[in-house]
Amino acid sequence: MIVAETKTRLKPGPATATRLQLTDVWHVVVLNDPVNLMSYVVMVFKKVLGFDEMKARKHMLEVHELGRSIVWSGGREQAEAYVFTLQQWHLTAALEADEAR
Amino acid sequence: MKRVEVKLNLESVAPLLDLIKSAADDLKLKLAVAPQVPDYEEEFSGGWESELLHGQNSDIGLFLALFGSEFFLTGVVPLDPTNSEAILRACSAVRLRLRAKHLEPLGDEALESGEVPREEMPEAQRKAFAAYVFLATLQELIVQHLDPTVLE
Repeated sequence: MIVAETKTRLKPGPATATRLQLTDVWHVVVLNDPVNLMSYVVMVFKKVLGFDEMKARKHMLEVHELGRSIVWSGGREQAEAYVFTLQQWHLTAALEADEAR
Repeated sequence: MKRVEVKLNLESVAPLLDLIKSAADDLKLKLAVAPQVPDYEEEFSGGWESELLHGQNSDIGLFLALFGSEFFLTGVVPLDPTNSEAILRACSAVRLRLRAKHLEPLGDEALESGEVPREEMPEAQRKAFAAYVFLATLQELIVQHLDPTVLE
């Protein structure tokens, strides 16, 4: 399984530090775009997130049909690494705090 | 993925290369997708974006290298494990730029289905659409070689 490269980054600012106390679960969200091919998105999900074929296709279809899919949830540092790597592949990926917690 | 040599139709592809090169040049200082950067301070955001831009430029450099003098002699582009992922990403970046620069008026539905009124399109837009489709074809070919199960 190939996973996202973890990068050393600057320390979070005060606003983020406060937020970190409120939530420790973050979502990696991929938004639909009209350009990237379905086969490409499936391959990227498999390569970056380590999904199997079925899971990759499920999330690709969710992105395509619903406009967005939460593809990973967990700690902030790993979530950031995934967002960065998905952006390297030119997918529209964002980090979202789990507001339900 | 083993090394693959793809023979392209020179007459069809060569006329598209100026447009592709121009879109690629636009991406030297600009990301194909404006990134949503986590809410850190400005210095962090700048670092995030410049790392993405550095990667994008590196990918596009490898992609453009496919179309050197050898290509104009033989029409062949070599794909191998050292360049295939970078070329995939570069194709994606250039397609995103072509859409933003030339194809947005066509609408996303028409672009996705490929059902566009080619006869009614201005020459520059028709050429941009041909380049957009060519790059998608190249991507599908690479994806198929990298992961044959994806296109089953």
